[in-house]
Amino acid sequence: MTRALGWLTVLGLVAGLAAGFGYAPREAVQGNVQRIMYLHVPSVLTAYLAFVLVLLGSIGYLATRRAGWDRLAAAAGEIGVLFTGLTIVSGSIWGKPTWGTWWTWDARLTSTAVLFCVYVGYLLLRSLIEDPEARARYAAVVGIVGAVNIPIVHFSVKWWRALHQPSTILGPERSPIDPAIGLALFVNWVAFTLLFAYFLSRRMEIARLEEQT
Amino acid sequence: MPSNWGYVFAAYGIAAVALLSYWRHLARRTRALTRPRPAAKTRAA
Amino acid sequence: MTYARRAWIILWKDLLIERRAKEHANALLFFCVLLLFLFQFALGPDRDRLAAAVPGLLWLGFILAGLLGLGRSFLGERENDCWEGLRLTPGDKSAIYLGKLAGNCVLMTAVEIILVVLFGVFYDVDLWTPAAPLALVLALGTIGLAAVGTLFAAMTTQVRARELLFPVLLLPVQVPVLLATVSATQALLLGQPLADVAHWLKLLAGADLVYVTIGLLTFEFVLEG
Repeated sequence: MTRALGWLTVLGLVAGLAAGFGYAPREAVQGNVQRIMYLHVPSVLTAYLAFVLVLLGSIGYLATRRAGWDRLAAAAGEIGVLFTGLTIVSGSIWGKPTWGTWWTWDARLTSTAVLFCVYVGYLLLRSLIEDPEARARYAAVVGIVGAVNIPIVHFSVKWWRALHQPSTILGPERSPIDPAIGLALFVNWVAFTLLFAYFLSRRMEIARLEEQT
Repeated sequence: MPSNWGYVFAAYGIAAVALLSYWRHLARRTRALTRPRPAAKTRAA
Repeated sequence: MTYARRAWIILWKDLLIERRAKEHANALLFFCVLLLFLFQFALGPDRDRLAAAVPGLLWLGFILAGLLGLGRSFLGERENDCWEGLRLTPGDKSAIYLGKLAGNCVLMTAVEIILVVLFGVFYDVDLWTPAAPLALVLALGTIGLAAVGTLFAAMTTQVRARELLFPVLLLPVQVPVLLATVSATQALLLGQPLADVAHWLKLLAGADLVYVTIGLLTFEFVLEG
């Protein structure tokens, strides 16, 4: 089952690359650098999916005390951090030729960086507790706080940004209008979601095996 | 507008390395846990 | 014994211990004075630069003091083997959280008043004119900081490397509170009316509500074991 998912993922990723480089047109204003968006946006969407699952797993564990929920939270948290890191790195690389600097405190990058820190802390907490029961419990509480905080972070950063700099008209935040770009984005998003599901499946299996040893 | 392909490849390249490394990491851990003999001491999840 | 009474007892106990021992209060007071020096030396002798940075420095000071003070919320119970006593308390455990939260708010408020006075005197900043709206921002920010801080403190008290883990967990979550309070404080110090910062206040109030609610709901899970 996971095997099939794996192959499907490869298919999706190839399709995504083809769409991003072959099918999608060269963007008028930014040029080819804009193609990084096909990596950057699906990454952040996948990260959000991961953290929603951390929330679900956390609540599920506290409600039922079944280890499966904790395994979900742990796996999703780890993979979420991976994709968040990717989002930040790709966003930074995209920003350098576009805005001239490796880092700007724009709303999305800042929010994503905060998100990254929250869940790295989550993983850190997990790594410091040996007792599986306590680990699951504490991680669940932090997982809930972290997830519920996401919209609060989003708004605070957005308003903070509005204070200090007018929002750029150009730049990664603008939603694509060209349908070809939209389609390429969609294909890549599906591919990333498949990749996430595949990673999640394998990571949860590892957690299950570890519990048996 | 300069071509900037270097940046594009850098971004995709880093992503590929990161994702492949993670995949290999998962594969290695799975192998270690499914070996017939008792596996080496594993880290907490 | 009613819920409110149980919360009150926790608060009263902590205040009483503090009043008798005075260890926390003295150390934190001195820490605030040290912060004054730290910020001044970090930013250099330029008066205007310091004045411009005051809103941020004020909240930086609160957070640093908060990290020290909040992180130790449950240390007394832990070191004196009273953790079991907390666990075995009958009834809703969230009353303990509420009591601890109230105690931490009192502690933080004391620190804030001290810092505000010190800043006003040493950095020559007028913090008296906007005192009332500033107090509101302080109150909302304090609740936000203490709500999550108390919850995480209970958790990290029992974990290895607690002095490192507590700030690592708390700070990212507190980013919205920091952004909101600093922005609001800056506006108020520039003489803007309270109405201008209403959106920040609403954000803070909303966030506080969320944090306290989660604290009340999840504290019992932290207390087990």
